[in-house]
Amino acid sequence: MLCGLLIGSAYAENTPAPAAKSAPVGKASDALDKDSECTRCHDENEKKPILAIYQTPHGNKADSRTPSCQSCHGDSAKHISSKTNAPDVLFGTKKGAFPMSEVKDQNKSCLTCHEKDPKRTHWQGSAHQAADVACSSCHETHAAHDKVRDKKTQPDVCFTCHKDQRAQVKKFSHHPIGEGKVACSDCHNPHGSAGSKLLVKNTVTETCYTCHAEKRGPFLWEHQPVTEDCTNCHTPHGSNITPLLKSRAPFLCQECHDGSHQSGTPVAGNAAGTQGGLTTVPSENFTGRACMNCHSLVHGSNHPAGALLHR
Amino acid sequence: MKTHNEEMKVNILSLAVRYALLATFALPLGAYADEADALKHPVNTVDFGALYSSQSSAKFGEYNGLKDEGFYGIGAFDVRGGDGYDQDKNSALRWKLNGTDLGTTSRNLGASITDQGKWKVNLGYDELQHNITDTFQTPLQGDPGANNFTLPANFGSVNGAGGLPVNTRTLTNTQLNAFHIEKEQTTRRNSSLGTSYSFTEQLSAQIDYNHLEQSGAKLIGTGAQGGINLLGGSSGRAEGNNIIMNPTNYSTDNITAALSWKGEKAHLTGGYYGSIFHDDYNSLSWQNSLASANSGCRGANCYTNETMSTAPSNSLHQANLTGGYDFTPTTKLAGGFSYGYNTQNDNYAPTSIPQANGTSYNMAPNGLPASSLNGAVETTHGDLKLTNQSIKDLTLTAGFKYNERNNHTDSDRYNYNHLGNGLYTGVNTPYSNRKTQWEAAADYRLTKSQKVRLSYEREDIKRWCDGVVGGAQCVASPTSDEDKVGLTYRLKAFDDVNFNAGYSFAKRNANFDHNFQANTGNYALPGAVLHGGLNAGDYLGYVAYPYATRAQNLVKSGVNWQLTRQVDLGVNGNYKYDDYNATLGVQNGHSAGVNVDVAYNYEENSSVSAYWSWQNGQRNLRSGTTGNGTAAFTPTQTVAPRNIWTNRLEDNSNTVGLLTKNGGLLGGKLEVIGDFSYALDSSAYSTQIPYGTATACGSSASLTCGSLSPIKNELISLKLTGNYKVHKNGKLALAYIYQKLNSNDYFYNGQQFGGYTPNRVMPTGLREQDYTVNVVALSYSLAF
Repeated sequence: MLCGLLIGSAYAENTPAPAAKSAPVGKASDALDKDSECTRCHDENEKKPILAIYQTPHGNKADSRTPSCQSCHGDSAKHISSKTNAPDVLFGTKKGAFPMSEVKDQNKSCLTCHEKDPKRTHWQGSAHQAADVACSSCHETHAAHDKVRDKKTQPDVCFTCHKDQRAQVKKFSHHPIGEGKVACSDCHNPHGSAGSKLLVKNTVTETCYTCHAEKRGPFLWEHQPVTEDCTNCHTPHGSNITPLLKSRAPFLCQECHDGSHQSGTPVAGNAAGTQGGLTTVPSENFTGRACMNCHSLVHGSNHPAGALLHR
Repeated sequence: MKTHNEEMKVNILSLAVRYALLATFALPLGAYADEADALKHPVNTVDFGALYSSQSSAKFGEYNGLKDEGFYGIGAFDVRGGDGYDQDKNSALRWKLNGTDLGTTSRNLGASITDQGKWKVNLGYDELQHNITDTFQTPLQGDPGANNFTLPANFGSVNGAGGLPVNTRTLTNTQLNAFHIEKEQTTRRNSSLGTSYSFTEQLSAQIDYNHLEQSGAKLIGTGAQGGINLLGGSSGRAEGNNIIMNPTNYSTDNITAALSWKGEKAHLTGGYYGSIFHDDYNSLSWQNSLASANSGCRGANCYTNETMSTAPSNSLHQANLTGGYDFTPTTKLAGGFSYGYNTQNDNYAPTSIPQANGTSYNMAPNGLPASSLNGAVETTHGDLKLTNQSIKDLTLTAGFKYNERNNHTDSDRYNYNHLGNGLYTGVNTPYSNRKTQWEAAADYRLTKSQKVRLSYEREDIKRWCDGVVGGAQCVASPTSDEDKVGLTYRLKAFDDVNFNAGYSFAKRNANFDHNFQANTGNYALPGAVLHGGLNAGDYLGYVAYPYATRAQNLVKSGVNWQLTRQVDLGVNGNYKYDDYNATLGVQNGHSAGVNVDVAYNYEENSSVSAYWSWQNGQRNLRSGTTGNGTAAFTPTQTVAPRNIWTNRLEDNSNTVGLLTKNGGLLGGKLEVIGDFSYALDSSAYSTQIPYGTATACGSSASLTCGSLSPIKNELISLKLTGNYKVHKNGKLALAYIYQKLNSNDYFYNGQQFGGYTPNRVMPTGLREQDYTVNVVALSYSLAF
């Protein structure tokens, strides 16, 4: 967004260029000629380094697919004739010297080349498309380093809007997102997907098994909610309870079990044991791992004597 | 804010950095002859230096590799090149080498080369050590990552006879001396190779392969087998708990191959995804010293040998097809289809375990129906989505999704001795489910600045098991359906204020079958079974929350206001309420959140931003128990008001952050960055027993009602970084990190030595992982 703002400002502050050529982009030199209509004004003196785009794939001019400035911003004849006029397409979401182009027009410019891509197949009608998220809301096209495409810096870009998750990744139990080892895009496809919550895979379980294949089974003794949705018990962005649990045993187990063994027994301060004020011997059913002191294979057991997920 | 700016300019750290660096590096400053040319070419960097961490802490070093006190090397590089960066050459060839965190166990290396638009090859290596705890103690001998753990010969049994401890609360000095610390950690090493090739502008292929190697161990609870005969007439104590190290000697090979075609109006990608998981072990063995209290059996001969299974090796092969077709520029169809086949046929862990008395204990004395599962699951996915924008200002979307997990694994009867040494009959129930979803949405632009979205979703779920022995119903809710409607309104008030508000309501209707029987063994089969009966052994009226009828209301709203070009303000909030229709089980719950953000970009390279996030959640459970004059649990027992209890979980979270960036100091040579955050989370359980024993439940001898001390975690983090440009191509960075964690968690209480554990849980000494760590880092970055 800031990028868009600055780009917008930059365009406003420079002397207009001569009239644009209309020749299609072909050889690298042709492409550069076309760019020069813009770069003769929008040069190294820009506050935001416009020319750094040449370090990115969008600036690799020998690739015949590489766009010129006009491919994205339009011919912008009015802008070229007078710097008081805005370019045809101005990227960003914040106001600058000129109003930004409508999001659909900005995105149309990008999708001209990027729509027919397997990762963007589901863009139309996706959550981000419906919420008027612009490509430039996340991508800094002119920057040598596009933060959203770097595992270490990507989360900060996503957290610009997803602020609950920004707080959740700081919780006691978390995926190594803040540490730069897991990126949002490892699990989510922001450009749309067939899965829920923009997941990269078709289902929650498939997405989790990408890294946690040991949970995939199939096991001899399955735990039904595990086979359906990991988020029945886990909260992936962060939790106060290790490991990424919504709640802790025995309370977590009691959300689905009441009757067999001790699952129907009320528990409170006795779970804190002697140090919690209990004057009798604490029970292994409620303290520490509680149910999982014995029923430890909650993701499924492959032991022929493990129906109760004991072994 | 301006005051803060001035303070930042003269803060002690920046002054210290400024003068120290000026004194040390009086290098001449050069300048590129052509700054425009410099901007067009990549800046290669090599970073090297060292840091010192003041405290050993597995939790501080959980993922960052800094688990030990001491010095670490800092190493990183980013080198790029190729004629593709030279605009005078008509070449698209570019290459890149990069590495980060080279001095820690979180290191990452990458290399790529591409003739852009034609082909690309990339290599990667990523390492991550997950440090779990450095306080775990065990008397068991064996390294983390091994799958067999033994007790020292002189440990002795825990059986209460002949001077031996009665239970694990009264271990002897010899036994206590056998405990030693084992640091628990797992390490992931991920190597990847990818390549893509464009045959034409329309046709391209891509293959990615990665090999994930895992090592180390995680802690796991174990219950000991009762009834194992020991020398001297003793026997193993049922359900004796030892927390042991579960090895993660895994490898996973993932392969993705895709062929993509795109035309003027359509595109299509066909691909294969393979995931082959291998576990070096299929069982985990350990010795257990807890024995029955009727014998004077002493020494190594009084240990029972125990075993459990580990994660079975398995594989998934999946064919994928995705694509889209544009009927017109405003009417588009997109969709996909996947078919996967997931198999698992690892040999079962042994059921006959050699014991100290020379015999073997056979958990399955009547034999097994098979030596491995031969498990097979088919997964099928299909989706279609049609979007239409042919009417001005109106976008229509209609979609359909289908997901099925069809478990073809045979159901069989497994007779074995459960932990209490009674004969148990289990029937495996291979779960299958199918979910179909329909969705329709209309987005209409009311005015240039107002937009409204109306959406409807329908979800149907079917659950079943094929061929269950005995023909029992295996699932509580064979079918359910959910309807969801949503309304969202967006307003762009003026150029600088964006407002949005949304509401959705969802109603899930679940068909519940109280005759269902879970694989906890309650089948009408020969042999003793535990907790047999209707409703899988739960009280009639009890419904597990994922399978209960539910109404859900969700409200969210937010406003972003760009006050000036420099100042942004954002406030948003959300509230969700779930109401379950269940006599017993989760009754309701809510979650709420508020986020406030403000950012002030007061100069081109200087800014300060702050945020506050508040989150609250609550879950209310209603359950039933025996006792209080009611009969012992029977399958048909209904719950009376006098044995109903409730439990509430309340989560609270407050997070604040402050980020400052002050660039352009010392004539543009110095940049100071400050990053502060504070997070306080608490989870509190409260149980109420409104019936007759309520007074007794609060006594110190029971404590089964009332509030449990909250689980609290407080994290304070401060990072200050000063980057000083020593010369045009060199930058010195000095960073200071302070991080402090205060934890308060009752979990660890029952793990301690000296009479705090339950009678048959071996202590581990696990402790809260509080830490206060100071890190100082100094590095030099050379650009070329």
